[in-house]
Amino acid sequence: MTPWSAFREGVRRVNAAPLLLAGMVAVTLLIALPLSLALRGMIASHLGGSLAADGVADGTSSDWWQEFAAQASGLGATFAPSIIGFGAVLDNVSGLLDNLPLAATITGATAAWMVVWSFLSGGVLDRLARARPTRAEGFFAASGVYFWRFLRLGAIAGFIYYLLFAYVHDVIFVDVYEPLTRNLTVERTAFAVRVACYLLFGSMLAAATLAFDYARIRIVVEDRRSALGGLMAGLRFARRHAGGTIGLYLLNAAAYVLVVLVYAAVAPGAPRSGLSVWLVLGIGQIYIVVRHYLKLLFYGSQTAYFQGAFAHAAYAAGPPIVWPDSPAAEAIGNADAAVRR
Amino acid sequence: MYGRFGAVLAVTVAAVGGATVPAGQAARTTQQTATPQQVTAPLSPRNASYAISARLDPASRTLTGDELLTWRNVSRIPATTLRFHLYYNAWRNTRSTWMRERLLSAGPEAGNRPEGDWSWIDVTSLRVIRAGGGPVDLTSKLRFISPDDGNPDDRTVLEAPLDASVAPGETINVQIAWSSRVPRTFSRTGTIGTYYFLAQWFPKIGVLEDSGWNCHQFHASTEFFADFGSYDVRLTVPRGWIVGATGLERGRRDEADGTTTHHYYQDDVHDFAWTTSPEYLERRARFEHPTLPPVDMRLLLQPEHEGQADRHFRATEAALKYYGEWFGAYAYGHITIVDPAWQSGAGGMEYPTLFTAGTRWLAPRSVTQPESVTIHEAGHQFWYGIVANNEFEHAWLDEGLNTFSTARTIEQVYQPNYYAKRYFGGFVPWVFRDVPISRATDGNRLSGYRAVAKSDDQSTPTWQYSTRTAGGITYNKTALWLHTLERMLGWETLQRIMSAYFSRWAFKHPKPEDFFAVANDVSGRDLTWFFDQVHRSSNVFDYGIELLRTEPVSGRGFFGDDSQRVFSTPRASGDAYRSVVVVRRFGEGIFPVDVRLVLENNEEIRWRWDGQARWKLFEVERPVRAAFAQVDPERVLLLDVNYTNNSATLKPQATRAARKWSLAWLIWLQDHLLTYGFFI
Repeated sequence: MTPWSAFREGVRRVNAAPLLLAGMVAVTLLIALPLSLALRGMIASHLGGSLAADGVADGTSSDWWQEFAAQASGLGATFAPSIIGFGAVLDNVSGLLDNLPLAATITGATAAWMVVWSFLSGGVLDRLARARPTRAEGFFAASGVYFWRFLRLGAIAGFIYYLLFAYVHDVIFVDVYEPLTRNLTVERTAFAVRVACYLLFGSMLAAATLAFDYARIRIVVEDRRSALGGLMAGLRFARRHAGGTIGLYLLNAAAYVLVVLVYAAVAPGAPRSGLSVWLVLGIGQIYIVVRHYLKLLFYGSQTAYFQGAFAHAAYAAGPPIVWPDSPAAEAIGNADAAVRR
Repeated sequence: MYGRFGAVLAVTVAAVGGATVPAGQAARTTQQTATPQQVTAPLSPRNASYAISARLDPASRTLTGDELLTWRNVSRIPATTLRFHLYYNAWRNTRSTWMRERLLSAGPEAGNRPEGDWSWIDVTSLRVIRAGGGPVDLTSKLRFISPDDGNPDDRTVLEAPLDASVAPGETINVQIAWSSRVPRTFSRTGTIGTYYFLAQWFPKIGVLEDSGWNCHQFHASTEFFADFGSYDVRLTVPRGWIVGATGLERGRRDEADGTTTHHYYQDDVHDFAWTTSPEYLERRARFEHPTLPPVDMRLLLQPEHEGQADRHFRATEAALKYYGEWFGAYAYGHITIVDPAWQSGAGGMEYPTLFTAGTRWLAPRSVTQPESVTIHEAGHQFWYGIVANNEFEHAWLDEGLNTFSTARTIEQVYQPNYYAKRYFGGFVPWVFRDVPISRATDGNRLSGYRAVAKSDDQSTPTWQYSTRTAGGITYNKTALWLHTLERMLGWETLQRIMSAYFSRWAFKHPKPEDFFAVANDVSGRDLTWFFDQVHRSSNVFDYGIELLRTEPVSGRGFFGDDSQRVFSTPRASGDAYRSVVVVRRFGEGIFPVDVRLVLENNEEIRWRWDGQARWKLFEVERPVRAAFAQVDPERVLLLDVNYTNNSATLKPQATRAARKWSLAWLIWLQDHLLTYGFFI
């Protein structure tokens, strides 16, 4: 199977699982919403009965924003003009690549979201691997079965990413970048060096995610019990099919870049008042849905590629996972069988 | 002046064995770049004039020079010593006062710089030459002193005890030879690669006042102070390198050793800075105005900013035009704009007739970079260059006036401009066109002031400010209270105050009291109370509406007298409402404010409150309910650190605003989670 075929197959599988997409969007929303409500309280409290609220409700007010920022901490400190429109995307990607510190509440929410996603990704991969509906009970049963394996894999991944961000990032952006650029007097040359550093660091991150992606896929498709074994198998697969896995990864990355560019072009600015508020927020949510789609596309296309290379489409070694019946239901079932005998 | 200086220089330099042109080597003049020497009427006392020859050796990063200082004692006391600034010694090691202060504000890593970054300056010879007498060598008597903090490791002030005092009005010549190592830029002077910006680079005499020498050590949060004079400077640099400097180039001579000597001259200035680099692009333009004298503008530009030349010229013209119209004409007829090399650390600094701007490779037009810094530094030609206050002690006088003037100029020319943030290591700008920048709060930098409002009384000598917060008090607070004064007195009055201050104190050294006296005089009001609040204290201003209530007029209890006395339950006729506003002074600062109550029928009621008490109640009865109330509705008091609480409405929109923005923030958070979803 070529990367392009796998990509198309991934699109087909994700398209065939709209509830999966809706569910994952809902999960992200459910984790983010409480924090949004908390921020809402902070903003409302600061504005109080002030007339300033009128201006803030109908547009933006740099003046009020600075005043709010001066007294904000934690979650409130993340509420800055850079959340507006496409600035939000730049803020997040730049913050990640530059390894900027996060507010504690945001770190907590991110960690919670990753744990929930880790839990659900077993069901997601199982659904996408089988390429047929697994129903809610099958989905959650698979999520439960793979969760502990993924948790163990996640511990290894966490350690690797910790090394990458805590040490390798410093090596690249402090020990290498700074001496290389310290005596440069031309900004665009320094920027070129920085872009090269991003590419280097990004490649390392991509390599790590590639290995962990295929580890998860092998754990699900091959019903592997060992997280370490799955990781080794994932690494072997990625290495032996380097061209295909990297090609597919780049296709997915290109899809992400395309989506981001489109959003950069169409992203509205700050919400103002009336219907336009909901229009702006609606466009933002469409972008978020598409981002989820891309995430599932990563899963789906990589799973399809692995299956195409090692087995056949929609192959999964384990039987469909079903939730065990209660003892009473089992006894009734056994009684039926006895009667039939 | 030049002829006399040239003659004295030739004699004295020959006397000490130094020479601009190495013996036996031929020199030729290749270019004359200025008009013939002109004798101009002195604009300033010209009591500290220098004739300097300096040679830059980029290979060793050394600067060696000879200077002949002609100094006249303009004080009323005899001088028994001479004091000189040796600024380059501030970066000799981490024990200097400058570095100690810097480490305090920036952390210990600020001192963790490689060997090649550090600098020094050594005076190798100092001789005093009096009229009719031979040179007296004081080299062996030189000593470092630390008049500000007694730091024995600080070598930024050099004292030379005189064999005989210099009487008031007497003039002496001082011939000084020195050598220095140019730092990797500290405090906007130094080098990176082949880019050199050389400021505070020569032994410079302090200012003798009636109370003694005003010659401070170099501090991390202050700038400079010097007397006016004429500067006749010859700078020898590698051939082909472009030079920009204070003044005008009068000649250029190629030396036999592959160098070129550039001759610059300027009268009536109190400092001399220069720059050299082989990389500069040179552009020229001319400022012309119906009522102001023309100014020749020379721009030394980094090649990667070639497309931004016009932006630099336009911003400089804006400063020359508006400062000229508002305060007084620029006095020199020429100005050099230096676009510093990236990472040179030399950007955003003023020197007489020359300043450094600062831009970026990616500089969106809807954001005022380089315009803000260009206008600010060009504006310093007025506040600092011409009106030359002591920046060690009263930096707010030039920095604050200039921040106010910059914001006002930007408002005239660059509207709208927007908030922008830089991403990816600061290289990639993104403009938020929904967030326009306002003069009143952004231009005057309210948020910066708010964060440090209580850190120092502004009247504290600047060098004694907390180094962490000095900028907020020096720049921001002054700009805010000047704008407050503008709103209080009207621009026409404030403009007259500032132009009177400019004309009265041009080419002099004013002090804060001089500015206050002009303000009182021109406005015809005693503004002492105002300056007591904003300048002589660190009080914070914060007025707010504590309570707004409106309800039908009713009463409960006994009404009437004697037999007519009856107990009445609440009753409301519905044809009269009592509206109550309680205004509170939350801060310590006191300022008279207006209180405005607007009723539902748009009727407006205003009260004037002296703002003295901690709170005050205002009350009216009208046939309609109140709609909203405001304290300081025109926002005269721009120093109010919390303006949100200055109003209260009975139909608050906070919930609607909070819902909208929390949902907008939700998208940011969702995108954030998905960005980290990369890892799972």
